[in-house]
Amino acid sequence: MSKSLSSLPIEIKISTVVAISAILHSSDPIAIDAALKQMTGGVSDFFEDEFAVIDVGAIAAETPYLDWRALVDLLKKYRLNAVAVRGATPEMAETVKALGLALDDGAGADRAREDVAAATAAVSFVASPAPIAPVVAPVAPAPIPAAVAPAAPAAPMPALIVDTPVRAGQRVYARGCDLIITAVVNNGAEIIADGSIHVYAPMHGRALAGASGNADSRIFGLSLQPELVSIAGVYRTFDEGFPAELARQPAQIRLVGDRIDISSLTPAPARV
Amino acid sequence: MARIIVVTSGKGGVGKTTSSASFSTGLALRGHKTAVLDFDVGLRNLDLIMGCERRVVYDLVNVINGEATLNQALIKDKHCDNLYILPASQTRDKDALSEDGVERVLNELVKMDFEFIICDSPAGIEHGALMALTFADEALIVTNPEVSSVRDSDRILGILQAKSRRAQTGGEPVKEHLLITRYSPKRVENDEMLSYQDVQEILRIPLIGIIPESESVLHASNQGNPAIHFKGTDVAEAYEDVVARFLGEERPLRFTTYEKPGLLQRIFGTK
Repeated sequence: MSKSLSSLPIEIKISTVVAISAILHSSDPIAIDAALKQMTGGVSDFFEDEFAVIDVGAIAAETPYLDWRALVDLLKKYRLNAVAVRGATPEMAETVKALGLALDDGAGADRAREDVAAATAAVSFVASPAPIAPVVAPVAPAPIPAAVAPAAPAAPMPALIVDTPVRAGQRVYARGCDLIITAVVNNGAEIIADGSIHVYAPMHGRALAGASGNADSRIFGLSLQPELVSIAGVYRTFDEGFPAELARQPAQIRLVGDRIDISSLTPAPARV
Repeated sequence: MARIIVVTSGKGGVGKTTSSASFSTGLALRGHKTAVLDFDVGLRNLDLIMGCERRVVYDLVNVINGEATLNQALIKDKHCDNLYILPASQTRDKDALSEDGVERVLNELVKMDFEFIICDSPAGIEHGALMALTFADEALIVTNPEVSSVRDSDRILGILQAKSRRAQTGGEPVKEHLLITRYSPKRVENDEMLSYQDVQEILRIPLIGIIPESESVLHASNQGNPAIHFKGTDVAEAYEDVVARFLGEERPLRFTTYEKPGLLQRIFGTK
């Protein structure tokens, strides 16, 4: 079976791609450039050639004539590959298509709008002065091609369950749902969910919950020792090591205000 | 049925080629017809460790390009009748390895009734390493008890699960074996090195053996004889255990505990 499939000149499969959404709050390339420069801090591989969806929903009405070419080149300079545009007006469509970018609209865009609101609040501390800065919500989902964007949500999505170790260099993304992992997550791995993340084995690596902006997402683990955790774009790294009193024991990670909070889930010892 | 086994690690210098040489020799010494292929195109050194560098006429790339037949290129080992070496080319780059070409060579080896085909992978996760693991049925993951080596092995396990032919066609997954090399129980005891339990805790694949750190490995490489030939050394015995376990025998783990030298040994020195 598989032999005959792979002998075909082309195979079509649905695949989920993770992309960054670059939400524009200004059309001024100089201001955007300055904001990106400050955000990346001069680190040339801050964005490692990731896909980017340009969200112009907030500025499309007042600036119908954007310099798209300059915008794409500017993102390219920071190693972001623009693949699609979200929130474009019908007048913009032709120019966008001419540049080889896809239009991401319809059901996906509406949902994204809500996410944007959440994400903007959540990551505003990452970016500099909000009004002119493009807010980049790390790893928001981009449906590519736009044609496979999910239709209106019907039944709730079941969680994505992973039973094999997630190893260095591997990335698991639970799109639009929770992620449950029953095997070890190693350093160098990346686990991402639009919902919450549950790991029933030692968790190292990077864990990003609420990737498309849900600030109520949490990360639960039986034995936590991550390199980085993020909820709705607010992240925390552990340069000094994961807090020793919480490491290697059941704990949960929540977003409290704009701060990542880690608390023990170990039941209090029963009184004798 | 022939079994194709890739010896890989991600990180360089952990003992892939040393292990390929001793493992294939061990299989051949037990009467199995075995071929060992060097995939490290551009940096060949399997032939040096096997001591056949002066007999290399044709190599893997010549066979892939149809410039030589497999029979012309295979070098018979100087110690065992059942062992053949297919060296890598030193003058080409890794792109000379095409997937079709590698598949053709492996198929031909299977038709020549080889029982075990050992693919000695180059370091890294580039083209050469991918070609070595693509057609594997089983994998020996060579790891040093050290953080960066373990991380790289973890990475290569992920690649094996994604890029191997078995994974791509949805077949039975590649069978993985953990081989820990350069293990020093004394340094583990002093907390200078990860214990084999630590390594297993991270990688979570079955352990096939532990090869102790030993000067005899360097000695063996320089002489051009696989370490397994040095009877009586702990390294040779450890590799024999690995081969035995691979063939389904039960062997207890050895060379994992540090014994303080006794008084007499301290007076007269170790051997």
